[in-house]
Amino acid sequence: MILPQGSLFLVSIAACSTVVAAAGDASSRPRGVSPEFAKFYKDTTTFTCISHPAIQIPFSAVNDDYCDCPDGSDEPGTSACAFLSRNSALTPGERPGSDDLELASALPGFYCKNKGHKPGYVPFQRVNDGICDYELCCDGSDEWARVGGTKCEDKCKEIGKEWRKKEEKRQKSMTAALRKKKDLLVEAGRQQKEVEDSIKRLEVEIQAQELKVNDLQAELEEVEKQEASKVVKGKAAGKVNVLAGLAKSRVEELRNALMDVRKERDDTRARVKELEEILSKFKVEYNPNFNDEGVKRAVRSWEDYAAKGTLEGAVNNAQDRDLDEIAKPDDEKAGINWEQWENEEDGCEAGLVYQLAAYLPSSLVEFIEGKVLFVRGLLEDNGILPKAAETSTSESKVVSEAREAVKSVEKELENKQKQLKDHRSDLETDYGVGSIFRALKGVCISKDSGEYTYEHCFLDQTKQIPKKGGGSTRMGKYTGIGSVSVDVLNEAGEIVPEDRVTLQYANGQGCWNGPARSTTVILTCGEEDAILKVAEDEKCVYSMHVTSPAVCPGGDEGAAAPNRKDEL
Amino acid sequence: MAGTRPMSNRWTLLLSLVILLGCLVIPGVTVKHENFKTCSQSGFCKRNRAFADDASAQGPSWTSPYELDSSSIQFKDGQLHGTILKSVSANEKVKLPLVVSFLESGAARVVVDEEKRLNGDIQLRHDSKARKERYNEAEKWVLVGGLELSKTATLKPETETGFTRVLYGPDNQFEAVIRHAPFSADFKRDGQTHVQLNNKGYLNMEHWRPKVEVEGEGEQQTQEDESTWWDESFGGNTDTKPRGPESVGLDITFPGYKHVFGIPEHADSLSLKETRGGEGNHEEPYRMYNADVFEYELNSPMTLYGAIPFMQAHRKDSTVGVFWLNAAETWVDIVKSTSSPNPLALGVGATTDTQSHWFSESGQLDVFVFLGPTPQEISKTYGELTGYTQLPQHFAIAYHQCRWNYITDEDVKEVDRNFDKYQIPYDVIWLDIEYTDDRKYFTWDPLTFPDPISMEEQLDESERKLVVIIDPHIKNQDKYSISQEMTSKDLATKNKDGEIYDGWCWPGSSHWIDTFNPAAIKWWISLFKFDKFKGTLSNVFIWNDMNEPSVFNGPETTMPKDNLHHGNWEHRDIHNVHGITLVNATYDALLERKKGEVRRPFILTRSYYAGAQRMSAMWTGDNQATWEHLAASIPMVLNNGIAGFPFAGADVGGFFHNPSKELLTRWYQAGIWYPFFRAHAHIDTRRREPYLIAEPHRSIISQAIRLRYQLLPAWYTAFHEASVNGMPIVRPQYYAHPWDEAGFAIDDQLYLGSTGLLAKPVVSEEATTADIYLADDEKYYDYFDYTVYQGAGKRHTVPAPMETVPLLMQGGHVIPRKDRPRRSSALMRWDPYTLVVVLDKNGQADGSLYVDDGETFDYERGAYIHRRFRFQESALVSEDVGTKGPKTAEYLKTMANVRVERVVVVDPPKEWQGKTSVTVIEDGASAASTAPMQYHSQSDGKAAYAVVKNPNVGIGKTWRIEF
Repeated sequence: MILPQGSLFLVSIAACSTVVAAAGDASSRPRGVSPEFAKFYKDTTTFTCISHPAIQIPFSAVNDDYCDCPDGSDEPGTSACAFLSRNSALTPGERPGSDDLELASALPGFYCKNKGHKPGYVPFQRVNDGICDYELCCDGSDEWARVGGTKCEDKCKEIGKEWRKKEEKRQKSMTAALRKKKDLLVEAGRQQKEVEDSIKRLEVEIQAQELKVNDLQAELEEVEKQEASKVVKGKAAGKVNVLAGLAKSRVEELRNALMDVRKERDDTRARVKELEEILSKFKVEYNPNFNDEGVKRAVRSWEDYAAKGTLEGAVNNAQDRDLDEIAKPDDEKAGINWEQWENEEDGCEAGLVYQLAAYLPSSLVEFIEGKVLFVRGLLEDNGILPKAAETSTSESKVVSEAREAVKSVEKELENKQKQLKDHRSDLETDYGVGSIFRALKGVCISKDSGEYTYEHCFLDQTKQIPKKGGGSTRMGKYTGIGSVSVDVLNEAGEIVPEDRVTLQYANGQGCWNGPARSTTVILTCGEEDAILKVAEDEKCVYSMHVTSPAVCPGGDEGAAAPNRKDEL
Repeated sequence: MAGTRPMSNRWTLLLSLVILLGCLVIPGVTVKHENFKTCSQSGFCKRNRAFADDASAQGPSWTSPYELDSSSIQFKDGQLHGTILKSVSANEKVKLPLVVSFLESGAARVVVDEEKRLNGDIQLRHDSKARKERYNEAEKWVLVGGLELSKTATLKPETETGFTRVLYGPDNQFEAVIRHAPFSADFKRDGQTHVQLNNKGYLNMEHWRPKVEVEGEGEQQTQEDESTWWDESFGGNTDTKPRGPESVGLDITFPGYKHVFGIPEHADSLSLKETRGGEGNHEEPYRMYNADVFEYELNSPMTLYGAIPFMQAHRKDSTVGVFWLNAAETWVDIVKSTSSPNPLALGVGATTDTQSHWFSESGQLDVFVFLGPTPQEISKTYGELTGYTQLPQHFAIAYHQCRWNYITDEDVKEVDRNFDKYQIPYDVIWLDIEYTDDRKYFTWDPLTFPDPISMEEQLDESERKLVVIIDPHIKNQDKYSISQEMTSKDLATKNKDGEIYDGWCWPGSSHWIDTFNPAAIKWWISLFKFDKFKGTLSNVFIWNDMNEPSVFNGPETTMPKDNLHHGNWEHRDIHNVHGITLVNATYDALLERKKGEVRRPFILTRSYYAGAQRMSAMWTGDNQATWEHLAASIPMVLNNGIAGFPFAGADVGGFFHNPSKELLTRWYQAGIWYPFFRAHAHIDTRRREPYLIAEPHRSIISQAIRLRYQLLPAWYTAFHEASVNGMPIVRPQYYAHPWDEAGFAIDDQLYLGSTGLLAKPVVSEEATTADIYLADDEKYYDYFDYTVYQGAGKRHTVPAPMETVPLLMQGGHVIPRKDRPRRSSALMRWDPYTLVVVLDKNGQADGSLYVDDGETFDYERGAYIHRRFRFQESALVSEDVGTKGPKTAEYLKTMANVRVERVVVVDPPKEWQGKTSVTVIEDGASAASTAPMQYHSQSDGKAAYAVVKNPNVGIGKTWRIEF
């Protein structure tokens, strides 16, 4: 591994030095001209403007510090044509050439040979401005005119050395990044395979489960049939039992409803508490600045409200304890012991009725029974009593057990089906090329910046944690992969758009006076997963620049994509 | 059920709170009127208006109760002394000493004081420690010269009794006619009356009187309404007014003058409106009481952050002016009356008089009268008194990038890099309050600005600057060393009881430095030394904000009027100069922050008064991102120029809210014409640095900024002009063409210095053309294609699509430029010049150029280049109009290689068509040389032009180019 890497580096150095050597040879090139453009400056009597061959000027006008060509090609070594840019509005007076020619520089910039380093272009607007632009022009040749006494000594030796060191490091880092990327791809593949395996397994299991459900269903029906005949015969099962059953289900229902309401109450309380906290904080921190009437009114209303008592006062612990008691399931120790009631033999009023019936004329018995049924029907119709047919309370233990068995297996089946569905949709989710982000899901990185520490958990969320204390703020939940075009400078110092992969996070915590926070994580190739910087582009809309090997160019994503292989 | 009721109540409350909170996020768009007084809520305003109404109602039967005691009059050495007697009752007369000074400059000054108070012969209520005199130290902060008394002023012999006439001014052509009873003064020039004091009899000096406690109600009905004499309450604050009523008022009439300008700062038209109601008029007087007005409204006489009580009145070929030197709260009513000698021929021979009525809450009556007759002479004379515009450091006139806030030092570096990446020039980046540690000035937030030095060093790599905000409120915190020092040295402003005043501002509880105190100034100066204000380098400059002073919990968002300043002057007395005393202290602090390194300070101030121009630049405060605010910025900036403080600008883009791309672009195209050109934005707005704006707007904005940079030589020359003769840097129509009546009220176009450049910023949405008014029949040429516009007294339609700045060049000027774009203006220092020669009807042109190092005071010792360029008889000459000094030669040597790279002659004679070269004769050259010239003819109404390539003449040399 080390060997090819080293040789790659050597090759690049060699390439560099040949360029430098070439530059050294062509000492006759006018100042600021790169070897690439040297051919246009061969004729030493007449110069032809590069993009406008119709315009010819004497060669003496080349680098005479006056802009003659509409493309600036006559001034490769001065700033005279620096205004040829869409950022300058020109007037006829300084427009070189005729009016209707399109003005755009034909040259990428002032060429610095940078012997001992790599050559580079300096934007023309920086030539002879009195500043040594060593970053681009380590040999200092951009300040050849020494305006105002500026002297830029040649620093290429040290800068070049430094650069090579850095470059070597960068190369190494790139290699490492690609290696990491490969690892990520492998890991992503593994995870994907895991999902696929799970799907297969689930499919089999679900089939088995379905059979089981069918069996149990059949069993249940059988038991029900048997029991049904029993129930019909044995009205003696007793009205108290039925009533107890009804009551039990009713109590259960009410308890559940109570619990739901209580939960709702607690949620609401939590929200009120949050709101009250916001407002009390608001009262303390608001800026009496500008005497904003609206703000003042809000603060006053809050004070009135707070005077009437806040949530804290309203919370009743005793009541809560009662509710806790009520919430406990019924058994021998708490609430009603249904067991006792359900197993009670008739011997009270209801039974008496039937016993009594034996002595009564059948017409009267029918009448009473009719009335009971009517009342019951009425109650049922109004939802006060559950329908007799639906009650399982009157069922025997055997039936309910069978029913339970069906239910639990059905539930299991449902779970599995859900898992399967999740896995399938997961497979359809975009995890980037080669599903590489699958391997980063949930990986968290953070960075200190100003007052905050920012956190990015891949494909999960972004967060802002204040250093001065206080809770963290979610800046967005993962919503998907996107892309964005960023402006980068090319070698000639021109702005060119470049596409970057982004991870989108939205619906974070809402902003005071603004939208819900959202973050665009813009990814750049780098050896480590790291946050470079975080910016708030507009109120509560953040961009986070993050490096990751996952987006490094190169490395064979396709080959590593495991699903294809598996399908083969 | 009973259990649910409280719950539902709570929900209702919660809901209403939510609704309330909802209300808060709706951005307020109008000023909170209830926070600021109307005239009727200001006791002395109400009284003076009532006094005037009473006088008018009585008509001819009204007699002003002020009489100049003839026996008291003495005239000596250009000064008239006397005593005005105010009749209070049949047997009570109050003595008011009068001094009328006739100044060598041609100005006259009338000062009236109150004898009892001068002698300290009064009692103050509430055991107040306040001074007993009327405030007489405003001039200490405001005036710097021009007070030399006239040696030639004389009493006019053979004057009728009851009058005193004084001849003064140039060749004694001015005359002051002082009537003794009732007292009034008319100022004449060439036999014609131009300014009249107390012509209407509104003179009112509320003399000191003891408060007579009336027992019970309605028992003893005094003649006068005393309800506003004593303690006055507003917005929950009570002013104890220990001296009772003490206002001064006077009517000043400009007979025959229809237009008056000046008395900034108001968001209003340049030509001031009438203030006594009626169609298109204001209901309220123009108010001057420096205040932090949140989301101020337009077309309003309401007070703003600064005040310059200087007014120019203008009519065809004559300009006069008055300066009301009083630092207390001041209101000005304006009424115009048109009279016609023949009522049947309305308009024929009809003249309009403008009558102004000035009144201030306290202090002396101190008024200067200027008789012109040109606006230039007014500017000059007024400048002699209050000082001329400081010649700023060169960077200060370039582009400033500001935002509340650049949040970290890294953020600043990033913005800096981005400007270079997109090749947009800028010179200065700004830090608002958030850079500080907990809003403690002179500190840096350790988390967000851990390394300010490296940030400043990066800026310095392209010679850029940093401006940081320093406000006068000092956080009241024991651990804060600055606060501790200020308290222990007793340098803070006091409340009425003499204890350190505690108010609320950005840092919460705060104290205010009392920059009236010499010891406080000395201390303040020490705070800015590089070794004291850690984290600053020599490329750091200062922004003084909130210096009205803004006090969040104070009456009208400022200090209580009964607060006490150094010397026990009440805040009431000094309020309007408060802002400039801070600027004054900061100016002195910035002069020499490191021993031996003396530099021109740069300070931006929000609050100001006359004199601020000597030390600072101003901006129009917290405007809004609307087209209306963009439009309003033009008259506001122009008006500041008229009032002697031309280094002015408005926040480009609008401070509050987000501008559309179109608005932002147009605002840049307009903002390049502000002498102070800075983009700024509120903390809640989207980022809007120009490089962030999507194309094509980014390029259009860049072009606008580069146009500013291209014209910096012309701008700097205009600044120089302002610094020696007080001329506005951007000038309104009437100033450039004082004879053209149709142009007097025009305030939506402007001229850059004396360059003949006429810009008409587009301030409306989706405009594709602009109408430019031309006063004269000179040819005007479009700056970008030389299209010719000609025709006097009418508007001409010029194309103004999004990418175009409507800009014309008046024939007859030579415009100096630098055409090479650079990263910052400092890096253009060695670049060659382009001279654009725009010929007038007679084939002539004139122009000038001023250059210096843009940084030091060496120009005071001759280290500058000042040239006059003249084109006549087919030759362009450069002549030296500077005065040599000890540093001239040295400076010229450093500039020896800076040359003219191009001369463009617009609309040259046709005979030049065949010409291909010109003859160049440079002083000191052994022989004449030639330079190539090219003649270009154009069609479609565009003028021809000729370009001389590389004449190779030095900018500091005397030379001649013969065509």
